[in-house]
Amino acid sequence: MKAMKKLRIVALPLLVLLFAATDLGAQLPGNQMATQSLRAYWHVFIAYAVAIVMVLGWVVSIARRLARVEAQLGE
Amino acid sequence: MSAYLGQIRAIVWKDLLLELRTRERVVAMGAFAVLAAVLFNYSIDRTVVQPQDIGAGLIWMTIVFGGLLGVGRTFHLEAEDGAFRGVLMSPVPKDAVFLGKMLSNFVLLYVVSLLVVAVFMLFFGMELGTSPAVLGLVLALGALGFVALGTLFAAVSAGTRMGETLLPILIFPVLIPMVVYGAGATGRLLAGRPVSEVVGNIRMLAAFALMAVAVGAVLFRFVVED
Amino acid sequence: MSGKGIRSTGTALAVLGLVGMLLVYSLSFFWVATDRLQGVSQRIFYIHVPAAWTCFLAFGIAALTSGMYLWLRDERLDRAAVCAAEGGMIFGAIMLTTGPLWGAIAWNTYWNWEPRLVLTLLLWFIFLGYFMVRTSTEDPEKGKRFAAVVAIVGALLIPLIHLSVTWFRDVPQFLHPQPVVVKPEGPTLDGDMLTVLLTSLGVFTTLFFGLFLLRYALETLRAEVQARAREATA
Repeated sequence: MKAMKKLRIVALPLLVLLFAATDLGAQLPGNQMATQSLRAYWHVFIAYAVAIVMVLGWVVSIARRLARVEAQLGE
Repeated sequence: MSAYLGQIRAIVWKDLLLELRTRERVVAMGAFAVLAAVLFNYSIDRTVVQPQDIGAGLIWMTIVFGGLLGVGRTFHLEAEDGAFRGVLMSPVPKDAVFLGKMLSNFVLLYVVSLLVVAVFMLFFGMELGTSPAVLGLVLALGALGFVALGTLFAAVSAGTRMGETLLPILIFPVLIPMVVYGAGATGRLLAGRPVSEVVGNIRMLAAFALMAVAVGAVLFRFVVED
Repeated sequence: MSGKGIRSTGTALAVLGLVGMLLVYSLSFFWVATDRLQGVSQRIFYIHVPAAWTCFLAFGIAALTSGMYLWLRDERLDRAAVCAAEGGMIFGAIMLTTGPLWGAIAWNTYWNWEPRLVLTLLLWFIFLGYFMVRTSTEDPEKGKRFAAVVAIVGALLIPLIHLSVTWFRDVPQFLHPQPVVVKPEGPTLDGDMLTVLLTSLGVFTTLFFGLFLLRYALETLRAEVQARAREATA
């Protein structure tokens, strides 16, 4: 489970960095037209990803806390 | 009724007398007002923007931050030596305690806000604008709303480990109407616009102040009960 | 509802909600057409609007139960408040990130002080204060009372904040899309898009209530642990 946590800590900033890089890349003159629509897709992807990640994050958080409390009650 | 008002007056008088003797808070807030204006002067690039253009906003932010300094200490004295217990055990109703504390805070903050305006006029060459009396009213209403919410949240934060650090987080979101209408009215008055243009703002400020006082008076008892 | 009942209902609703989310995602990507004017970024709408609605619903429940807690002093009301508040923070965060992501493409600006976004941001911080106050008091009972007060002040002043923020609009024509569904003439949204939006609204609400119930079950168990601990030391 620690590996999962580390993966999440690494994956999210990496995603943000990737997205920022695409954003900045779009500033280059020749790139404008092509990367304009690519940037839109990125944003949509990240938006949908954020929603799922936050919801699942809450689910996992509740599940973990429930497990801990049940262990305490079991004692 | 007169007994109730008498109790409030007693609390106001006690706090103001203490403040008059120690001059702790008023000196701190006053020094803050002047020094903040000095810092503002050096933070503004006069080739880009004139201080007069943003003066109203700066004035109100200075009042907000200075006000936080003063209001945060409202219950400091009572927190020491368990003096608060004594206040609560007395037959004075809790909302009277709140109103008393709030009014003494109001006097303090109003004096400081007048000082802030004077300092900004001096440092940035700003004029009093259309009507100093209406400006005084705007400042008074804003200060009233601020101290009402500030006193309530000061009681809350005094009961937590974080203390005064928590105060800005609690109070800033609900201070938005005061800043919007107060700075809006101040800006227009300082720019020389007619009073009729700020009447709407003054009405909203009054509504804000009224709501804040009512909410504070009603909820204070839940904060300080045992 | 008994403890077990709450948990099973919660789990059922949560699972339903998660499956529903998959459905909405598929519908959004494979079924509904792309908006002619805004292009692909408009699809964020199907996540952003339901998240906003759920966020406000959650914070509304939190404020209401907080008020009732101060009045009736029933622990269960406080438990409901903290669970709803947590949900509000989650869905509020989704709304506040998807909004600027959409705005950056559709209107070329991440943040333009649009009143609805500002209000959500403020509510989010008011409830951040709620949690901070709750967890930083020595006496947990005091913490619950303080938190309830914070929630109530926020709820009571939100209408005035809304008025002030709307009045302040300095941009004459606001970039935030005008309501397309709840209009007096009836929804003007394209049929397919309306379907996806309404499905998404239902899904998010179901998801929220499912997770709310599970969170509530957790809070009830925690209270039991504390009660036992108190008995043990007594």
